[in-house]
Amino acid sequence: MKQYLINTWQAIYTVLVGMKITFKHLFVPSVTIQYPDVKQPMVDRVRNRLFVNMDDCIGCDQCARACPVNCIEIETVKSVPPEDLGKTSQGKKKALWVTKFDIDIAKCCYCSLCVYPCPTDCIYMTDSYEFSEFERNDLIYKFATLTPEETEEKKANFEKFQAEKEAKKAAAAAAKAKAAAESKPDDKKE
Amino acid sequence: MNLYDYIFYLFALLTVVSALVVVTSKNIVHAAFSLMFTLFGISGLYVLLGADFIAVVQIIVYIGGILILLLFGVMLTNKITNVEIKTGTIKTIPMAIITGVFGALLISIMYGTKWSSAPPDNMPSTLQILGNTLLTEYVLIFELLGMLLLVALIGAASIARRGRE
Amino acid sequence: MYEILTDIIGNQIVAYVIAAALPLFVFILPFALVAVLAERKVSAFMQDRLGPMRTGPYGLLQTVADILKLIQKEDIVASDTDKKLFNLAPILVFAGSYAAFAAIPFTSAYIGSSADVGIFFIIAISSLVVAGILMAGWASNNKYSLLGSMRSVAQIISYEIPAALVILTMVMLTGTLSLSEMTEMQTQYFWNWNIFGGAETGIVKILLIPFMLVGFIIFYISSLAEVNRTPFDIPEAESELVAGYHTEYSGMKFAMFFLAEYANMFAVSAIVVALFFGGYHSPFGYLGNAIGIDWLIPVEQLFWFTVKGTFFVIVQMWLRWTLPRLRVDQLMNVCWKYLIPYAFVNLIIVGILTLL
Repeated sequence: MKQYLINTWQAIYTVLVGMKITFKHLFVPSVTIQYPDVKQPMVDRVRNRLFVNMDDCIGCDQCARACPVNCIEIETVKSVPPEDLGKTSQGKKKALWVTKFDIDIAKCCYCSLCVYPCPTDCIYMTDSYEFSEFERNDLIYKFATLTPEETEEKKANFEKFQAEKEAKKAAAAAAKAKAAAESKPDDKKE
Repeated sequence: MNLYDYIFYLFALLTVVSALVVVTSKNIVHAAFSLMFTLFGISGLYVLLGADFIAVVQIIVYIGGILILLLFGVMLTNKITNVEIKTGTIKTIPMAIITGVFGALLISIMYGTKWSSAPPDNMPSTLQILGNTLLTEYVLIFELLGMLLLVALIGAASIARRGRE
Repeated sequence: MYEILTDIIGNQIVAYVIAAALPLFVFILPFALVAVLAERKVSAFMQDRLGPMRTGPYGLLQTVADILKLIQKEDIVASDTDKKLFNLAPILVFAGSYAAFAAIPFTSAYIGSSADVGIFFIIAISSLVVAGILMAGWASNNKYSLLGSMRSVAQIISYEIPAALVILTMVMLTGTLSLSEMTEMQTQYFWNWNIFGGAETGIVKILLIPFMLVGFIIFYISSLAEVNRTPFDIPEAESELVAGYHTEYSGMKFAMFFLAEYANMFAVSAIVVALFFGGYHSPFGYLGNAIGIDWLIPVEQLFWFTVKGTFFVIVQMWLRWTLPRLRVDQLMNVCWKYLIPYAFVNLIIVGILTLL
């Protein structure tokens, strides 16, 4: 009988204790973050989407070589002498037209290995993490700043320059051969 | 035809149709559920007769008690037991004769009786009178019934416990 | 009410139909809309969340959107169900819980049926819900549904006993079965409410208070069980039975079960209010009386009734998000070993006190 009354009392008492706790929680500010409107602040070193600052890129291809999953593809075209590509923010002279800089972010494993070898610190991880797409192809980010026409132009320029150089070389070689033929004993340096 | 007539025919139709389903349905669960509508319709008819307390008792005892028990029984035993529950029609001719005679008897009584009808609105509540009558005039029967129910309750409990020990 | 409507419309039958449908459209549907939202918001706040915030300002239109979704949803009837019973069950369940509103006095001006059997009728008609739940469980032809409905019915029938015993206590105290008469006896100020000893006077009134409190707690616990709310929600225990007897239902049929559940929640709260907390009466007298506007009184009464009823619904939600679910044997223990003996003792003591 005594146990019975104790049970009854405990049942009511414990329910009241529980209700008190939940009642208190009514006034605790909510921990919900309303996600698309409000975002949780990210820590400084987060690794999310890759970004390439093309102004600084010298097209050295080191990041592509460092990538363990081969998600970076770089194609470059050498600049021809009269063109001035300017300098990077760190003062390095740029010598290559970067005609293609594709990062397939779907393949990316966010290892950050491409970031370390970059001599100009132009490739880095950003804190943006929402980049879902409907098409898988849309996940290939094209960072190259040149338009296809420009690319063609640069390529043509380079080929022309190359051809000119070849021609010059050939002419020089021919001249040299001729000179050699003319004055064999002198050892002239070109 | 006033409102009460409509309500009467509604409940009468409900009672008769669902009773027909009870009798003719081959599915025993359907029959049991139709019985519920029959009982409910009868309770509605009680209300129209001015017997409000009886009507509510009809619902609470028949639908809330007996019918639920019946349904439990049907549902729990329907496919467990090997007993075949026959739901077909047998011995049609003798039954037709008996129901015909009985029906004729009922109809003749119905037409022979002089029904006294009172307007159904503002019927006095039967509650007070019923309670007084039960506890004064019929108190012995009332107490005996109480005893009977108690005995039935104890008996049921003892039967239920015996199996476990 | 009927007379006024008959005068306006001219046709008695139409007036009756409108008067009967009034609580549904004026009260239950809006209440269910608000209560579903409140349920989600209360649960959210108790768990330090925000709850629905997207639909409308502060998510206020969430339930409206939900209803629209439910209306548009495909009505799936699984191939092996018992089609007739499957379609009938939600109607039966809703009819049962709606019929209970006929005997609940919303204000002194509106009561569905002022029949003397009031509260007794409510107990009786809720057995239609029981039958409907059994029907749904059986017709679904699904183990979980059948188990859920069996549990539900066993639970409702068991907990009807302590509830009926407490109602009997209150009937003995007030001497009437009619809820509106019971309410009228608790008029004027809050110390006339039954929980504070009702209309009794002197020492008896003070002696009655603890027993009224016991009666109230017993009735509230058993009413929780009768509407299948946590901690007594084993009929629809999500972790064990998917959703109990309405597992197979979708679209509007599911919505009817849902509506019936919320209607039931309010119905039992309304009964608690009418039995113990003065029904539609204001705790501190009426403004309408003070400034002499007669028609204001029923409006105030409706307001107080809604406030009190909603308060007990909120307490139901509060309990839901506080307590874990009981096991079946614990459920039956609570009912048969604790509530019923206490209710009996309470009945006897209150009976003696009333005779004093």
